[in-house]
Amino acid sequence: MFDWLANPNRFKRITNKLEPFLIVISVILITLGLYFGLFDSPKDYQQGDAVRIMYVHVPSAWLASLLFLSLAISCVFYLAWKHPLADIISSSIAPIGAMFSLLTLITGSLWGKPMWGTWWVWDARLTSMLVLLFFYLGYILLSNAFERKIDGSKSASVLAIIGVINLPIIKFSVDWWHTLHQPSSILRFDGPSIDNQMLLPLILMITGFSIFSLYIITINVKTKLIEKKCEALLLKSNLREFV
Amino acid sequence: MKTSHSSWTYIFIAHMKRDFLTNSRSLIDLISIIGFMLLIILLFPLGIGPDKEKLGIVSNAIIWIGLIIAILPSLEKILQKDYESGWLDQIATTDVPLEIVLLSKSISYWLIVLIPTILSSPLFAILLSMELKYLPWLILSMSIGGLGISLIGLNGSALILGAKRGNILLPILIIPLMIPILIFGVGINEAVKIGESPFGNLFLLMALTLIYLVISPFISALLVRIAIGR
Repeated sequence: MFDWLANPNRFKRITNKLEPFLIVISVILITLGLYFGLFDSPKDYQQGDAVRIMYVHVPSAWLASLLFLSLAISCVFYLAWKHPLADIISSSIAPIGAMFSLLTLITGSLWGKPMWGTWWVWDARLTSMLVLLFFYLGYILLSNAFERKIDGSKSASVLAIIGVINLPIIKFSVDWWHTLHQPSSILRFDGPSIDNQMLLPLILMITGFSIFSLYIITINVKTKLIEKKCEALLLKSNLREFV
Repeated sequence: MKTSHSSWTYIFIAHMKRDFLTNSRSLIDLISIIGFMLLIILLFPLGIGPDKEKLGIVSNAIIWIGLIIAILPSLEKILQKDYESGWLDQIATTDVPLEIVLLSKSISYWLIVLIPTILSSPLFAILLSMELKYLPWLILSMSIGGLGISLIGLNGSALILGAKRGNILLPILIIPLMIPILIFGVGINEAVKIGESPFGNLFLLMALTLIYLVISPFISALLVRIAIGR
């Protein structure tokens, strides 16, 4: 099904047309989200204006988990069906996901200091997010630890698939354990418990971040495709030693 | 009666014998692991101070963490020597079930390396002024956890087969997977110290070890086949 997209030239043509839309839409969504979040949404009755860091913290957390899931799916495509583009997509997703999980931890830390009085606490949610960061780092380091990149891809793909077990732990950690982190407010069986005025900027920011990630991923994939083409050309020519 | 030389039990026992033969000559490896663990455990009283109260709070965790760190260098050697000598290639290309072979590798590692190290824990308990009546539970919990650690170590070793900088990478890959074992294992010992029932944590640790026992040979076999394909 995805084979028709695997042709690099076709991929480049389609993404070249898509790219302007992606970046424009994501900038619009993030701007709108920030406007509604920073100006048009209510202050928290306890936390005051400091609650507005939620509009960066929560979308980053969602993106970190979602990107890891898509990393694992892409690795499954690579291992099971040996789709040629899957490995490139995986290695493009990984750094962005790692940055989002780092951003989650940092913004959460900045939020926690005034609210909870501490930069860090070893509760289930924070620890499992840290473990997610380690899985991202492990993926990136392992895929680059081998002589040839293609050798590292397969080992790292297995690692990414093993790491999926962490995602339900992250999601349900606040329900299973008594944590300092607050319980789920949006993805619950009873529906969101959060006010619509706060939900709107959150949804805008999450969608904006997702489309932005998609934009960055397509740029990375195109770059890697160009690198592969250069490598192939060098191999064909007499300049093998520069590969 | 058909003696089945391809029966899993026979293969398992044959490979256990092989592992015992190839590893029992390296007593010096065992001594170096125990020495490393001793040094790690030595650092804690020197850092925390000889106050017995403070040491008593963390002594369980120190012994567990000392064990995990001390065996990290030797974990990657579970598969490395056989991979480099080509033996793993040969076994993987026959119709011997690779999962059984790898399972026997991790269980023999547990028996040869981990159990002796765990049995030397009275020494560490004395150094940390831990009361000796907690020792049986410590040894029991570390033995069960040690099996889980050995299985995860097998996975980690298979992940980095052939990697040029793999041995530095191994802790980053393995330690997140060992965190539940550490939490439940120390939970057993802490519960005994308080006087509560350790069976909750014990059963969770056993369940976790059983899960790893089942899935770890398959994951390692997949990784070994990937490594051999390089």
